Amino acid sequence: MTAATDTKTERASSRLAPTLSPSSPPRGFWLWRFNGAQHSLLLDRRAIAVNSILAILLAFSAIASLASGSLSISVPDILLTLQGNGSTIHSFVIQELRLPRFAAGALSGAALALAGCLMQTLARNRLATPGIIGIDNAATAFAVASIVSTTISLAPSAMALAGAATATAVAFGLAGATGTRGYRFIIAGLAIGAVSGAVTQVMLSGVALDDANAAYPWTVGSLNARNPTSVIVLTVGLGIGYLLSLAVRRGLSTLQLPESVAVSLGTRPGRVRFAALALSVLMTGFAVSVAGPVGLIALLGPELARTVSRPGRIPLTASALAGALLMTLSDLAGRTLLEPLEIPVGIVTALAGSPYLLWILLRKSPDISR
Amino acid sequence: MKLPHYHMIAWLLLAIACLMSLLFGAGSIGPDSALGLLMGNDDPEARFVIMELRLPRLVVGLVTGLALGVAGALLQTLTRNPLAEPGLLGVSAGSAFAVTLAILLGATTASLTTLISQLGALAGCALVIAATRMQGVGQDPVRLVLAGATLTGLLLSLSSLVMLIDQRAADEIRFWVTGSVAGRSWDQLLATLPSMILAGLIIVAVVRPLASLALGEKVAMGLGHHPGLIRLAVILAVALLVGGATALAGPLAFVGLVVPFVARGFGGADIRKTLWLCLPLGPALIVSADTVSRLLVAPSEMPLGVITAIIGAPVLMIIIRSRRIPTL
Amino acid sequence: MQQNRSTGLLRQILGGFAIAAAVSFTVQADTHTVDTAYGPVAIEGSPERVVTLYEGALDAALASGVTPVGAIITRGGDSVADYIQAKAGDVKIVGTPGETNLEAVIALNPDVILASSRLSEEQYKLLSQIAPTVVPDFKAYQPDTWIKETRLFAEALNQSENAEKVLMRVQERTAEVEKLVAAKIAGDDRKTALIRWMPQGALVMAEGLFSSSLLQATGFDVDDAGIVQEGRPHSRPLSQENLGLIDHQWVFLATLNADGREALETARKSPAFERMQANQNNRIVTVNGQLWTSASGPIAALALLDDIATAVNQLP
Repeated sequence: MTAATDTKTERASSRLAPTLSPSSPPRGFWLWRFNGAQHSLLLDRRAIAVNSILAILLAFSAIASLASGSLSISVPDILLTLQGNGSTIHSFVIQELRLPRFAAGALSGAALALAGCLMQTLARNRLATPGIIGIDNAATAFAVASIVSTTISLAPSAMALAGAATATAVAFGLAGATGTRGYRFIIAGLAIGAVSGAVTQVMLSGVALDDANAAYPWTVGSLNARNPTSVIVLTVGLGIGYLLSLAVRRGLSTLQLPESVAVSLGTRPGRVRFAALALSVLMTGFAVSVAGPVGLIALLGPELARTVSRPGRIPLTASALAGALLMTLSDLAGRTLLEPLEIPVGIVTALAGSPYLLWILLRKSPDISR
Repeated sequence: MKLPHYHMIAWLLLAIACLMSLLFGAGSIGPDSALGLLMGNDDPEARFVIMELRLPRLVVGLVTGLALGVAGALLQTLTRNPLAEPGLLGVSAGSAFAVTLAILLGATTASLTTLISQLGALAGCALVIAATRMQGVGQDPVRLVLAGATLTGLLLSLSSLVMLIDQRAADEIRFWVTGSVAGRSWDQLLATLPSMILAGLIIVAVVRPLASLALGEKVAMGLGHHPGLIRLAVILAVALLVGGATALAGPLAFVGLVVPFVARGFGGADIRKTLWLCLPLGPALIVSADTVSRLLVAPSEMPLGVITAIIGAPVLMIIIRSRRIPTL
Repeated sequence: MQQNRSTGLLRQILGGFAIAAAVSFTVQADTHTVDTAYGPVAIEGSPERVVTLYEGALDAALASGVTPVGAIITRGGDSVADYIQAKAGDVKIVGTPGETNLEAVIALNPDVILASSRLSEEQYKLLSQIAPTVVPDFKAYQPDTWIKETRLFAEALNQSENAEKVLMRVQERTAEVEKLVAAKIAGDDRKTALIRWMPQGALVMAEGLFSSSLLQATGFDVDDAGIVQEGRPHSRPLSQENLGLIDHQWVFLATLNADGREALETARKSPAFERMQANQNNRIVTVNGQLWTSASGPIAALALLDDIATAVNQLP
């Protein structure tokens, strides 16, 4: 126990130390000086390597996504089409169907995984993700309401965003202060999720099967029909959210230490927690309004990122990349496996993720710092 | 032994709930003609509605409430977690998923077998308890609930896959998942009885060792009990109860949370006292929720699962807010 | 209202231009427009490669003499509905009612796409770039919705004449069955409910539903007791205590199981169902739910009328 604490403090101090002794970087880091050595930047070699590899894999996933489907398109043809010289049918399939779908998948996957990483870090629990605590359920309930109701004129995607926002507001309201590790917030979310789930089921039982079918993509998560406006909102939201989460990263990593240490390092725990929670649920809301409730990505993305990253780090960038990668690969599988029928991406992630999830439940410690 | 007065109150509550359930319904038979029947007036319409429609669903409500309330109390003592509830922990979801599979394979909601539902509940139960044991999540109530929520989410996705494959199943399931105690036949009720009685016997045998286990494994072992054996017996009892209840009424969330919570509020944390109080309180909750479900949207009926969720969610919040998650 | 009038005016003007254009360039005059939920849609000639994303559209297309190249699966199966299977031949499947595989639609290279009024706007935007997409915009669950939809789809296919012939055939057949009903069942003995049975109670189908309207047309007096909400196809599960509301002289029981008798036996296990007058008088007619509660269109109408005739013929 003491040994573990020691290594943790050591790690933390190794992260903080370079400002004190700028001469030689710690192991595994590059020191980059610029502006006449007045400023310096410490670069984590492993993080750079991991992020590059994930980015390359994502690029491969992009090529595979653009190439496969009911109509196969060869790689040279893809390149031609992207330059604007492809045949009409290739242009349509790539520019109107596959490219926007890939982009929507990558963006929503990245946002979900980033949101998951933040909340997991905050709660120090790999199972604490926005999807599991009911944000997704509320978004689904609102989107389904828009489909089955004859009086709501807002589009399902807008309603999904409104649902996520409402759930968040209610959860914050119920939880009051966010408390230690934001646990109250999580429980409030669970309660909201359970009620939203019940309401969704009631709505679905009250309508014709055809309407239930129209609502189906919103109950499982699908990239088949995205709303372009929501994708734009997500793009902007993810961009800003990513930068802000990099800004709270330092505060979050000091919160992994005992709270008194964190405070003495200048962190304000309440503020950091609130900021991280707010970022997490906002990005979930944007992602869900595009893809529906694909909550497992928020768990699997950061999980993959953590496995390959330096222990003790908060792998924000790697999580986002891994989320995008898993989401796009899942959607590719869903599009092609049962062709011509499509399996919604939410079901693919559930099926593929379930063995891993069971393993986490049964074998792994839920605490991400262990 | 003289029972404390709150026991009297609880049983009185149950009696009132039962009476209301017989008196009020979605149909034209109101309290006046219902009371008339009880007084001896022989109106065939009132007789039919009360004896053939309201009485069976009252009995189904009693059995379901009893099973879920007691199962909740047992799970909470076993995991030492006030949030451990069959619905939140994924036990009901396991049961529901098994039923979904059965419907996919050709069963109808009217011909469900209790056994399938109970096997699903057992699987869900075992999984959650395994998670508790292996991760030491017993010390951290929220972790256990998170594990349960994850399991529930997963099983829901798998059910959605079934609904994608088979539209007939989709159509049957969307009515079944909302929960109801209406229109269950005596046959269905009788089919669950043996397992319920078995569960009852297990509980009678295991309640004292379980109470000692709640004081700590060492205490239990010192008294000559086998902790592993106790756990196994409790899990089996919970699976039988929850599986039976789910087969009868569909997945009903939060009953197992609310009932033991109220019972503990009156009777304290000792499982032997809590269980006695759960006996009237569980049925009272389901029976009154069912009566409300008939009156809200008459001449149709509201699904029961919504009412229990609406009652249960605030209680969940109260537990979190007021007690700082007490350990049992 | 205001907007409707102005777009109507606009359409007239545009229509005038279209006629003028047709007169001046007779060579390429073969384009016609149909009014859809997303405004007028121009369609060239008589489309041959048709993709239907809606059961009613598949029915209407086949009835108009055009065999679609692509369709979606129906409930309870991995292909189109049973009643239309033989006519549809080896139509390619392009998705489920919940998810259309757009690439599969493209691969079929359609001339026109016929869709349901429930098609989402996002889907429409993509589909309409593949081919002219016809989305009907009629009030749902009205007795003549299916006729309007059939005419619209046939117009899109440039087969209005064929459709009118089939609709005439439906009308004739309706009149035949109506006569049969009149001969067998007294005028004051035809009050009817169309329901589905759930363990917790009955789902009452709306009076305006496709099948209800045909029952009505053949002389049955369909009455949903006013418990189906406006714009809904069926009610919430009706409390068993209130089965009296729909215990009419006739009850048509739609089942989703292949075997109607089995479903009837299950329902009869419920004392409330057993006690219904219609059941006591042996006047519960079990019908195939795939056809009676999900399908619409002329071919479905003929099949449905046959069902009614069979049931009535069994009477002494």
